[in-house]
Amino acid sequence: MEEIEKVQALKEKIISLIENASNVNELKTVQETHLSKKSELNSMMSLIRNLNNEDKILFGQAMNNARNEINTKYNEKLNYLNELLIKEKLEKESIDITLPGMNYQLGGINPFYQIQDEIMDIFVSMGYEIVEGPDVETDYYNFERMNIPANHPAREMQDSFYINPTTLLRTHTSPAQAHAMDKANGKPLRIVCPGKCFRRDDDDVTHSHQFGQVEGLVVDKNINLGNLKATLELVLRKMFGEKREVRFRGSYFPFTEPSVEVDISCMECKGKGCPTCKGTGYIEILGAGMVHPNVLKMAGYDPDVYSGFAFGIGIERVAMLRYGIDDIRRIYTGDVRFIKQFKRN
Amino acid sequence: MKVSLNWLKQFVNIDGLTPEQIADRLTFAGVEVESIEKGSIATNLVIGQVVECENMPNSDHLHLCKVNVGDNVLDIVCGAPNVRVGLKVIVALDGATLPGGTIKKGKIRGYESNGMLCSLLELGVEAKYLRDEQINGIEEVNDEVAVGSTNVLELFGLDDVVLDLKLLANRSDCNAMINVAREIKTLFERDINLPVPSQHELVENDLIINSETKLCSQFSGRVVRNIKTKPSPKWLKQILQSEGIRSINNVVDIGNYIMLLTGQPLHMYDLDKLPKNELIVRDDYEGDFIALDEKTYKLQKGDIVITSNNRVMCLGGVMGSLECAVDENTKNIVIEAANFDFASIRRTSIRLNLSSDSSMRFVKGINPNQYDYVMDLTVDLLSSLCDASEISKTKTYLEKEIKQTILSCPISYINNRLGTTFSDEQIINALERAHLDVVNEDGLLTVKVPFQRIDILDKADLSEEVIRILGFDNVVSELPSAKLSVGKLDENVFNKRIVRDYLRNCGLDEQLTYSLIRKEEVNAFNILNKDESYHIMHPLTDEHEYVRTNILPSLMNVLEYNLNHGESNLSFFEVSDLYSVNHKSIHLAIILNGLNLREGRLISEPYNFYHMKGLVEGIFKCFNIEPNRYTFVRSNEKEFHPGKSANIILQGKNIGVFGELHPTILKKYSLKNSPIVLELDLETIFNTPTGLKKMSPISKFPTVSHDLAIVVKDNINSEDIIKEIKSTNRNLIKNAEVFDVYKGEHVESGYVSLAISIIYGNNEKTLTSDEINNVETKIIANLEKKFQATLRK
Repeated sequence: MEEIEKVQALKEKIISLIENASNVNELKTVQETHLSKKSELNSMMSLIRNLNNEDKILFGQAMNNARNEINTKYNEKLNYLNELLIKEKLEKESIDITLPGMNYQLGGINPFYQIQDEIMDIFVSMGYEIVEGPDVETDYYNFERMNIPANHPAREMQDSFYINPTTLLRTHTSPAQAHAMDKANGKPLRIVCPGKCFRRDDDDVTHSHQFGQVEGLVVDKNINLGNLKATLELVLRKMFGEKREVRFRGSYFPFTEPSVEVDISCMECKGKGCPTCKGTGYIEILGAGMVHPNVLKMAGYDPDVYSGFAFGIGIERVAMLRYGIDDIRRIYTGDVRFIKQFKRN
Repeated sequence: MKVSLNWLKQFVNIDGLTPEQIADRLTFAGVEVESIEKGSIATNLVIGQVVECENMPNSDHLHLCKVNVGDNVLDIVCGAPNVRVGLKVIVALDGATLPGGTIKKGKIRGYESNGMLCSLLELGVEAKYLRDEQINGIEEVNDEVAVGSTNVLELFGLDDVVLDLKLLANRSDCNAMINVAREIKTLFERDINLPVPSQHELVENDLIINSETKLCSQFSGRVVRNIKTKPSPKWLKQILQSEGIRSINNVVDIGNYIMLLTGQPLHMYDLDKLPKNELIVRDDYEGDFIALDEKTYKLQKGDIVITSNNRVMCLGGVMGSLECAVDENTKNIVIEAANFDFASIRRTSIRLNLSSDSSMRFVKGINPNQYDYVMDLTVDLLSSLCDASEISKTKTYLEKEIKQTILSCPISYINNRLGTTFSDEQIINALERAHLDVVNEDGLLTVKVPFQRIDILDKADLSEEVIRILGFDNVVSELPSAKLSVGKLDENVFNKRIVRDYLRNCGLDEQLTYSLIRKEEVNAFNILNKDESYHIMHPLTDEHEYVRTNILPSLMNVLEYNLNHGESNLSFFEVSDLYSVNHKSIHLAIILNGLNLREGRLISEPYNFYHMKGLVEGIFKCFNIEPNRYTFVRSNEKEFHPGKSANIILQGKNIGVFGELHPTILKKYSLKNSPIVLELDLETIFNTPTGLKKMSPISKFPTVSHDLAIVVKDNINSEDIIKEIKSTNRNLIKNAEVFDVYKGEHVESGYVSLAISIIYGNNEKTLTSDEINNVETKIIANLEKKFQATLRK
């Protein structure tokens, strides 16, 4: 049928125009000129009048098909061109993702505090109370109450920073034990006391006139040396790894009896022997012991009823071992290149 | 104490034990061995005899020697001045190891040399034990020694191993060889063989012995006549050498030897030089004293002195006088064995800066009950080594009877304290091994403590003996079972944590600095805490002389340090407790310097006053302290820039100061640009009560934001303008904030343009624009009236 062929020819032409449209505007022009009500395609509908009924049906079908096909092509093309537009826009907006982030920077933490906070958190989780004692202490609490009587060599003026003959900067956190026991008034207690201590040592790689300790004390009925060992095992494994072995060596402190030095298996060589542990496989980490009966007595506890254990952890020593710090003075110098290496974890 | 194993062997059987085994066991039992020193590490030595010796041509000191080493004659080049034909010498053969290196055969100036002739110095003996000729030349071996002998180290006592004990205060008994032997017996259950004195015919002792001071609990004297002073025999010299003591003569050496052996310091007086036949202990002497070292010391009351006819013959336990010193002409002597008050000896020895092996032993405490035994051992040696022919009885002054410590201890106490499961038998056996005398009656132990163990005073000490002997490995690790309770941080510790965490999360680095600072540093920042600072009586250096009252001086040093190390963009803080004469406080100090890199370098800007102000406001927020409770007022602290600093007033109290520093301070620290610094009293903030905050209702109706730009004189506080705006209509104005401040072009000099964002809202209904316009008109009118503000065009 000649009419249908005309429709087909026009359809082919329009589709080719659609396909050749290179942007949305061109495509819109195609739509306006060829797909509007007054378009050539629509006007072709008038041809139907001259056809017989059978042909009318065929022609109508051909017209519908042509329209559908053109619309489909048009929509496809429109989508394609829109996507292209977005793509181009996004490409233009692309940024250098390797420039530094505008992060809200996290401040560094002095490893001293990292260790001190960590130890406190472990003990809080075990039901200990964290208390603080004063840096400026009386010789009565610093020495007498720690079973270090007058004339004891440890009370030498030469070894401590005295402010006057009866007041000094505390030489250990142990006097916090006596303060806490006084407060507890004869009742059981579990405390940990962190703090600064001072001794008349010249500063060098391993010595510091100021240093930190964390003091621990448990007083109750039936407390024994095995309880101390289990407690320290738990804490030291949390700090240095679950595989650490803990061992006791005989030692002496005036305020504990028995007294022990506590060693842990070396974390560098796993106990085989290396320069860190001087070939022994173990590293000395802290001092501890069973509270001396005199210390309990002076605090109003009956040593035949109550017993206790106590320990003192050197914060710098733990920090230096844990982080491989080569010089204790770094902790107090404030070099930000050092501090920034440590973040709270 | 240094323990020569060769010497120790005389008193206890250590066969089959390596030095390392002994050291380990001692260390774990609380007698720490600090080091194991070998006499000499030299190997491959032999005794030889020089058979030919010629000067090397073209050398002023080298000799070409032929040395017979028994199975061979070797060509050896030797540079020692004393080498000569016939001399017996120590030869280090090819491959020998010496402290200085390995000996290899080779050529010296073209001449073959197959070893080295040695001095003792080259074998590792310290120069202080050698005579000059032993240092400058090779060792001249006694002619009786056979050529070819290879036991060279043994011949010179250099095969010894010395354990260096680092004794803690409780084990001063191990400052005596016999007690070290006892300890070895305790730990290894070995046989012990302590010296037993022999019997001598004794004459009466007519020396007057007395004490007039409580500082002397026992004083014994014994007269020995007709002695001959001469050099000590080799065995005695070697023992003293292993202990680090120089040999003087037989009499002095015997005194030192007995002290090392028994721990009892002795003193020897030349009897014929005593002004009177008496020795009286006193503590009331004041005046000069010329000691053995020929130096004059000023003595005072409380020093223990031994006098004769009111003249000081000895500074008790510390040093004898020159006046009655034993010398090569001494014929008759008095031996003194005493027990002096440790505290007095310590005070004297420290005051005079004079200490000795003997004063050290008194200070640490000695066995109070062995003076008779010690005297007997001493006269034995005087008789055998100094030919003493007339020995008197011992005469002793005793303040009171010396009592043995007797402890009673339920046997169950031991396991209960240790967390162990030892049987009764094991416990008793361990105590007996420690030389304690134990009687068990129905589970109650009665324990007699030997006199040398002055440290065992309580049953807790018995538990220590048991565990150190049976081994700490036996402690059964078991967590304590106690009633559950809430663990918690001390309130101040908790609050400090909040501040510290906040500031680190704001990107600031947390510092820790020394509490002791210089005097100038205390004075440099006399701010906030103006209380008197504690002064250290005997500071180590003037760098650490005062206890700081503020933290800023320390942080200024940190700033300086980092600037000197090329770090200029800094933000750091420290929280610390501070102690001053009348006051304890908790402070925070912050320093901000250079660029604020909080969000990275891309949007960095220099730190200014407002960064610090924001941090302070943030801290208040951390503690729920509303802005109406605090204000910022201009600071007049002289250390600060008067126009760029503020004091922080919390409920009427000045709790802090911050801002830029005054140029005079900047000059002191050689700073070009001022950092922004803060010193803040945290304790007042921690102690400010804040109620529980309840939720406030959120309006259902939207708010509207309008901006307003006004121009006012630049001396008007923006805070006053905001307050005025808010007060115009408290119902409809929800908030007002300055969001831009501009001075410059288009704004008249002396004026400032403020852009203010105002949030309108109505909790009852949606606002109409008429309502907003009405309020805004009122605001503008009020600002014009109050501040002569004009709208910015």
